Amino acid sequence: MLRYALRRIALLGLMLFGLVCITFTISNIAPADPAALAAGPDADRATVESVRHEYGLDKPLAQQFATYVTGLAQGRLGRSIVTGRPVFDDLCRYFPATFELVLLSMLLAVGLGVPLGMLSAVYKDGWIDHSVRVFAVSGIALPTFWCGLILQLVVAVQLGWLPTGGRLSLLTSPPAPITHLFLVDALLRGEWSTFGEALRYSLLPAVVLSLPCLASVLRVNRAEMVDILESDYVTAARAHGISSFRIVTRYALKNAMLPTLAIIGLRYGWMLGGTVIVETVFDWPGIGLYAVSSAIASDFEPIMGVTLLIGVNFMLVNLAVDLAYGWLDPRLRAA
Amino acid sequence: MRRSCIIIVTTAVVLAIAAAAPAVAFERAGDRKILVFSGGQPVPVLDPHVRYDWSTRMAQQSFYDALAKYNGNPPQLGPWLAETWESNPDATEWTFHLVHNAKFHNGDPLDAEAVRYSYARGLRLNKGIAWMLKDFLAPDGIEAVDPHTVRFKLNKPYAAFISFVPWWYIVSPKEVSAHEEGGDDGQKWLTEHEAGSGPFKMTRWETNTLYQAEAVPDYWRGWPQGDDKRLGGFIYRVIREAPPRRAALARGEVDFVTELTPDDYDELAKNPDYVVPNERGMTTFGIKFNNQSGPTADINLRKAIAYAMDYDALVAVYNGKATLETSPFPPAIGGYEAVPGIPRKDLAMAKDYLAKAPAATNGLELEYVYVQGLEEERRIGLVLLSALQPLGIKVNMVAEPWPTLVARGSKLETSPNMSAVFVTPVSTDPDVIAYQYHKNSWGQYFGMSFYNDPQVWTEIDEARAEPDWAKRAPLYRKIQDQIVTDAPEVFGMMANRQWTYHIYVKGFVYSPIRLTGEVDMYPLWIDAK
Repeated sequence: MLRYALRRIALLGLMLFGLVCITFTISNIAPADPAALAAGPDADRATVESVRHEYGLDKPLAQQFATYVTGLAQGRLGRSIVTGRPVFDDLCRYFPATFELVLLSMLLAVGLGVPLGMLSAVYKDGWIDHSVRVFAVSGIALPTFWCGLILQLVVAVQLGWLPTGGRLSLLTSPPAPITHLFLVDALLRGEWSTFGEALRYSLLPAVVLSLPCLASVLRVNRAEMVDILESDYVTAARAHGISSFRIVTRYALKNAMLPTLAIIGLRYGWMLGGTVIVETVFDWPGIGLYAVSSAIASDFEPIMGVTLLIGVNFMLVNLAVDLAYGWLDPRLRAA
Repeated sequence: MRRSCIIIVTTAVVLAIAAAAPAVAFERAGDRKILVFSGGQPVPVLDPHVRYDWSTRMAQQSFYDALAKYNGNPPQLGPWLAETWESNPDATEWTFHLVHNAKFHNGDPLDAEAVRYSYARGLRLNKGIAWMLKDFLAPDGIEAVDPHTVRFKLNKPYAAFISFVPWWYIVSPKEVSAHEEGGDDGQKWLTEHEAGSGPFKMTRWETNTLYQAEAVPDYWRGWPQGDDKRLGGFIYRVIREAPPRRAALARGEVDFVTELTPDDYDELAKNPDYVVPNERGMTTFGIKFNNQSGPTADINLRKAIAYAMDYDALVAVYNGKATLETSPFPPAIGGYEAVPGIPRKDLAMAKDYLAKAPAATNGLELEYVYVQGLEEERRIGLVLLSALQPLGIKVNMVAEPWPTLVARGSKLETSPNMSAVFVTPVSTDPDVIAYQYHKNSWGQYFGMSFYNDPQVWTEIDEARAEPDWAKRAPLYRKIQDQIVTDAPEVFGMMANRQWTYHIYVKGFVYSPIRLTGEVDMYPLWIDAK
């Protein structure tokens, strides 16, 4: 198991370096001039050049890359040209909001997707199965921004059940930070009304963000469960008089979770990327919104910082999934 | 047991959600009302000497004061920190006499030294607003004559000097110096903090998301609506997309919004719960030709396109809420004069000019580049495409992000055949518009036509150095006439400025000199229980 883990970690380092090369190249190929934007729309050429020099954008590309990689090794992710702030500081500020949203979405997706998948498999070809499958297809097919806007219009505006966006109401102070996750910090501080408010504000964006993952988890789980429920050992268990509930939850589910885990790992990465749209629609102050602002301004270093952060997260989660696979399936460890 | 636990937890969560307070029409702090304003653009840098755009300046105007201030429609320059001012006959020396009761938020008096410091800082940093004065004023040309008198000695005459003064905000030297880091002149700190004397002070700054300010009860200038009515503060909430912004307005989460679509404004105007101001703007729209490279270097082709354009359709893009340009200068600019013969749709004349354009003889395809995401520019492109079909000219519409458009327009070789450009003047002095056609503006977004008329440049240089308006005005008449004759662009329209706010918001004062969505928070109040 240890050798397996070390092999995966070594691969991680190589993948990260590849990601750095790709993001740097793409950011610098774009025919935009971030120095002109930072200097302001009315700035003359001399002013633009002075900003370009200040941020080292007048140096050869190879030198800029070397500076960037050296900075990365020292934990520096560069500086935003628009705001002048270190990218690392900005990411620390915005990432907790995204992480909280993704975590909540993942909980919704898995918490609903697995049981619905099981239900659908158990009542295969019944009305429950058909309804759930339609729901699953819709979750994958419908664009995230459309779902977000429609839910916002119906649930927030027409029905008035939930707010349109933000993380807390305008005059509510966030709980004193421990984890920087408002829900967790509010619980830890015993601020129940803040917890309730934070939950209200996070529900709509979390539901929208969870839909594609929920649909995928549901479909994969259903497919696996259907196969497993038709297998010999399940038939034998039934013949021994073991209850259906126990067979489904104790015998079949564990085996069905292997591919489901892989989907969850992949979907985490998708979710991180998907926050760009959800955070924009719901004004959720996370890295997605930060990435949008930076992209609009062609602010390269924040864009690279966000990409690297998402990439690292994605790789770490998939590493965790691979390790979990190894733990769940002894045959993989032996191989 | 497990099932009952699940039921209890679920019920608790639902109750927690339900127990949290619902949205209210406006916020309150004690017995004061807080106005919530929403737009799509954040405030990346608050430092008044580093950056400005509409959202940034709205915040800066709230936290800071300047020597003078624009007000009203048409915008009039009036005293603010300076009670009076005068200049010498050749406009190379300007003396300002300050009020005696202005003070910064930290309680320090605002004196001539603070003014000197602030202007010197702006020139030293050479960012943001510096372009307005840096060719005419050096830091050592600013003198604090006494605590309430400051003198500016320009290195050459510049008649437009006074028109830029309202945008040079005064910062507290003590606060800025106390927060300097590594010789940065306090830039890092002022990015997210303020050191001003304005009617509001900052209480919360969540970059890209939310900015909160509270009113200064003893603001040195007092409150025009009366202290009992004034706001307790305001919140600027960034909602990037128009539909959620509109949804927030409908739900009562915000009181005042900007940057909705023309269709949204039309619909909201029918609702008696909202006020939808509809005011003539100063932002001009032009389809700028590349005057020196490619087929559009031929004046006959440019005129052919200008006469083929469907100008009524430009106004229709804004549902009728736009005014066609009658000059390169907006009417609110000093020296404006409607230029007779500015092109309007005339297909016969268009074909006449086309016949004189060699590039067009075998059919032609021209690129029209517009800003990605700006729906109005896209629709204008469609109008152009349709208008040029009778001339046999194909239009290739290309959407580019704004940074890319700016980058392309910075060089003659890459500047597109036709570019969609909005320009908002930052002062009422005609130099600010005329100079866009000067060769020194080549490479900037408003100069991406690379307009080439040395006679006009000479007249622009002469006009900006002439302090006597009686001699300046005729020069600007000639400049306007010649620019129209040279047809460097299709002179489009000025879209009206619109906002929407709840009917209980009072005190809104429109001034076209303010940028796009910018609103002066100072005179506003909420008339509701």
